[in-house]
Amino acid sequence: MEQGKIDSNQAFLLMLSTVLPTAILTVPDVAVKFAKQDAWISLVIATLVAMAIAVLIVNLSLRFPEKTLFVYPEEILGKVSGKIVIGLYVWWYLQLGSATIREFSFFLVTVSMPDTPMIVFSIIIVVVSAYAVYNGLEVLSRFNQLFIPVTGLLVIVFLLSTKDMKLTRLLPLFDTNMSSVLKGAVTPTMWLAEIVTIGVIIPYLNKPKEAYRVVVLATLTNGFLLTASVLEALLIFAPHLTADWLYPIYNAVRVVSIAHIVERLESVILVLWLIGGFVKLGVFYYAAVLGSAQWLGLKDYRSLVVPLGVILVALSYLLYGNNIVDLLDYFAEAWVPFDLLVLEVGIPLALLSIALIRGKGGKKG
Amino acid sequence: MTKFIKPLKLKPKLLGQKQEQDKPPVNQTENAGLSGAAWKDEVLGQDLEANLRQIKAILNKCSDVIYREFIFAQNEAIRLALIYTDGLVDKAQISEQIMRALALEVPQVVPGLELTKAQALEFIKQRGLCIHQVKESNRLQDLILAILSGDTVLLVDGHATAIINGARGFEARAISEPEAEPTVRGPREAFVESLGVNTSLIRRKIKSPNLKIETLRLGEVSGTDVAIIYVEGIVNDKLVTEVKSRLERIKIDAILESGYIEELIEDGPWSPFPTVNHTEKPDRAAAMLLEGRAVILVDGTPFVLTVPMLFFESLQASEDYYERFLFTSAIRLVRFLAMVTSLVLPGLYISLVSFNHELLPTTLLLSIAAQREAVPYPVLIEVLAMEFAFEVLREAGIRLPRPIGQAVSIVGALVVGEAAVQAGMVAPATVIVVALTGISSFVVAYSTSITFRLLRFILIILSGTLGLVGLITGVAMIGIHLCTLRSFGVPYLSPLVPTTAVDLKDTFFRAPWWAMFSRPRLAVRQGQKKQAQDLKPTPPETGP
Repeated sequence: MEQGKIDSNQAFLLMLSTVLPTAILTVPDVAVKFAKQDAWISLVIATLVAMAIAVLIVNLSLRFPEKTLFVYPEEILGKVSGKIVIGLYVWWYLQLGSATIREFSFFLVTVSMPDTPMIVFSIIIVVVSAYAVYNGLEVLSRFNQLFIPVTGLLVIVFLLSTKDMKLTRLLPLFDTNMSSVLKGAVTPTMWLAEIVTIGVIIPYLNKPKEAYRVVVLATLTNGFLLTASVLEALLIFAPHLTADWLYPIYNAVRVVSIAHIVERLESVILVLWLIGGFVKLGVFYYAAVLGSAQWLGLKDYRSLVVPLGVILVALSYLLYGNNIVDLLDYFAEAWVPFDLLVLEVGIPLALLSIALIRGKGGKKG
Repeated sequence: MTKFIKPLKLKPKLLGQKQEQDKPPVNQTENAGLSGAAWKDEVLGQDLEANLRQIKAILNKCSDVIYREFIFAQNEAIRLALIYTDGLVDKAQISEQIMRALALEVPQVVPGLELTKAQALEFIKQRGLCIHQVKESNRLQDLILAILSGDTVLLVDGHATAIINGARGFEARAISEPEAEPTVRGPREAFVESLGVNTSLIRRKIKSPNLKIETLRLGEVSGTDVAIIYVEGIVNDKLVTEVKSRLERIKIDAILESGYIEELIEDGPWSPFPTVNHTEKPDRAAAMLLEGRAVILVDGTPFVLTVPMLFFESLQASEDYYERFLFTSAIRLVRFLAMVTSLVLPGLYISLVSFNHELLPTTLLLSIAAQREAVPYPVLIEVLAMEFAFEVLREAGIRLPRPIGQAVSIVGALVVGEAAVQAGMVAPATVIVVALTGISSFVVAYSTSITFRLLRFILIILSGTLGLVGLITGVAMIGIHLCTLRSFGVPYLSPLVPTTAVDLKDTFFRAPWWAMFSRPRLAVRQGQKKQAQDLKPTPPETGP
């Protein structure tokens, strides 16, 4: 079905783009809302939890190194319940993909072109991603590899804003109680645990055994960059202002001004994020397309690219309400139980236990 | 009247074949080609007269073919016939080394020679002919091809075998400086139109028995000689097999330039990007060979094809390897920036001026706004019009006869640019942007720069409709497309993506020669060392 193979570097970079592009936009806002100036602690906790989830899913997947997340549940659970679980995952990727479309469309309309109908941006994002998805995982990861250095400019922009930061804005430390910190950690964990997607690409790694290293490094980097972005927002704007803004990082970049030459960088950032969005959507889109094809037992997934693209755009309008606040509420309330507890932790854990009990899948290969 | 018009109508079907107007029209290449002709499998007979008649029938109405019958060594019993094409042979050689040798000199050297008809052929070949290259054949197809390629065919009465003498000599252009790839430093010779000269130019650079030159003939009507050159032991064998199989697939009436072959063997037939490179410089071709590429030479054109092609080749000039590496690396960077400029600058300008003003410094924004005050059209139309004018000027500069060409393009640019600004039809900033873009596109290799010229217009339109978002969308699509491309199995963007760290030594910068230990990974067999490790000059501390 998928002919290409990717190497560990490409997988690592792909895992960065799977998590970061939208997370870096919305996570600071959500985390700071709950945990105030201790939000960075939430992020550290989230990183650790996500790491455990990542190791769990890799352990599970490596028991079936030639099969994707959309094939081995059937082997573990049997035909009927297996198909149901796989169906859930396919639905999950459709949902993730449509959420990505929605987030980026909202973002572009809000900050860049308020008069343009949102559907224009949704279609653009889907068309670009569809082109990459149609050409397969290899092309998608190469495309990511080609442009990720550009997205890396973001880190430089972070550094440029150091002169507006004040460390005292983090004080008082541990002022909030533990439950708020944990609450603040939930949404970031969900985002970081999107690394479950490694279960889809492990069969296409040229060295599947390196998957552990890939996910651990990727989660660390993701966690570090997210923590940095939260810190950045906190240090510049302090908790209250950060929580009030939809896109704290975008605003943080706006304040950068060096010698009146390097300034007004926000449009550049917008554009770089857009490329990240193409890849992020591409990953989920690819997973949804590959998953549906394997779920339905098709020989080739390409025929599904266009129909699923249409479905993704439609879902992005059906599921998430009318504005960005609805979308964020949806993330915080509807998604967490379903995504984090069921799909990212629950099912993998159950699958692993059953596989162990039934003795399915060995450490072969 | 009709008599004259009719053959004209039927001409394409009748090329190289006897006039058989009643025959139903068949596939043109099959009918007109050498391999598909009615006499394809026929062989010579014993009788000279009959053989001559047959060849004359085939080469009917070919007034440039000359038949010369004469007698061997003043011996009336042994009659000979020479057949060759006027203008393709070395006449002096034919009259001295063949006719004079056989007819006059043999009796002088071996007086009283008594030869029978049966001994004649062997004697002529071994002792009579003073020609370097001699072949034998009895197949009419070979003989006709030899005659039309410039060889001289010698028929001997009583023998069903003919001798093919390689005594070619035709007018060809002398080796001159490269026109399309000029350099400041480096060899000044360029390939010419003759295949033999071109292979010799490469052989002179690589004097190794491992340099293999294989030839084949393509084009059913044109019968063009094509050579595949590679260095055995460096090249990946699969590449050579693939190149050969792709070339053998070609069934076409004629190959008049290597561009025909390029389009018939490339990996992305619909892609705007070239996946087969070409060069007219023997030193560059030799360098390609030593990096494990295969080179395809086509008779009749100075442009040789090199495969596989990587994207970064368009940033490399042969001079890069002759100048010192620090300067070269800096120039590579300039080229890369120019390449990006030639692709995105007009789009970026449109986005900034019509959508994302906030990115421009205030003073610049005010100055552009002031310039554009009197301009009646939106910036998109303005840029499109200017780009169109620029493309027209550029094309006119190439098409016009050389003496007026440059003058016209310079005057045109001055008049159009200057006058358009004066008349308030375009803003000076637009002229600057278009001019800068145009100049930038000359920096990259020609085949890639024309691709960028094309894609630039798509980006202009995207930027004109969606601003920066449109521009980035376009760039992302181009990026994905580049990622999908392969050239003979090698990813087009390698060694950048997928990354081969060692091979980045010759992409955005050029490593010094003493640090280029290995050959590029993707084209050659794995892990090849090309030079010693300790080549970095370490002069002694004190003078001699």
